Amino acid sequence: MTTEETTEYAAEERARMSWAKQAPEVYKAMARLDAAAKQGLDPRLVELVRLRASAINHCAFCLDMHTKDALAAGESVQRIVQLGAWEESRHFYTEKELAAIELTEAVTVLTDGFVPDEVYEKAAEHFEEAELAQLIATIAVINAWNRFGVTTRAVPGHYQVGDFE
Amino acid sequence: MTTRTKVLDREAGRALSALSAVAKRGLGDPALAELVVIRASQINHCAFCLDMHLAIARRHGVSEQQLDLLAAWEEAEDVYDERERAALALTEAVTVLTEGFVPDEVYERAAKHFDDARLAHLIALIVAINNWNRVMVGHRIPPGGYTP
Repeated sequence: MTTEETTEYAAEERARMSWAKQAPEVYKAMARLDAAAKQGLDPRLVELVRLRASAINHCAFCLDMHTKDALAAGESVQRIVQLGAWEESRHFYTEKELAAIELTEAVTVLTDGFVPDEVYEKAAEHFEEAELAQLIATIAVINAWNRFGVTTRAVPGHYQVGDFE
Repeated sequence: MTTRTKVLDREAGRALSALSAVAKRGLGDPALAELVVIRASQINHCAFCLDMHLAIARRHGVSEQQLDLLAAWEEAEDVYDERERAALALTEAVTVLTEGFVPDEVYERAAKHFDDARLAHLIALIVAINNWNRVMVGHRIPPGGYTP
């Protein structure tokens, strides 16, 4: 006979509001912006950028969604887990990815002061001008989703790959 | 200091303009929108955005005193009404996520002054200017280039 053990987790909080229902035109504009920004960029790189920004901004919903999306795009668990300490685990990533991650941090945390020249220039070495513009747009857009997610307290855990496609 | 690049992503730029326009329309208060947008741009140190939105705010008739004291709005009680103060508190919380979430009291204070639809558009406006701030600071677009 086997006994099944169940773990008592804390109760799930409810979202503060469903902003996409309250402002459907805003949601449509966000979806359009997101699609424009990422167009042509490597999907795995995009997910690394999204994961790093979402961690910095503490967006639980976004972390849930983009971890699942990254795995679906063929990302490894190891590279996802190491992302929080990428400076100490540089050998998990390409120089191009590292330049993008560093730019992500600088563009995400503007309150500590601007985007340093060395960070921008390193990114510019790996991304040609149009691609760099899209990378910056992609970083800005995940910051936008993070703000919606955190402010309306979107509930993590229920996302399934492809839900918003 | 010069701009880093002139290449902004055109399609993303158009989509972002659309987002800002929809958010502003849904909020339905152009003067308040400018206070919100300027406060976020101060926090994010976006020179281009400050230059542009200070000009727009003046055009909408926002008072010099409200613009001058915006960085210290909490200490200038008589200059901003309760609705403006609730919106500014929300702006700061949504803009600075790195120090931890959007507190219940800040969210609820805003929810007292804005119904759900307006609140969603106010949040969208704060999100949109944060997006602009990142694009403009990231590319180091210099101030002064905006003409109404």
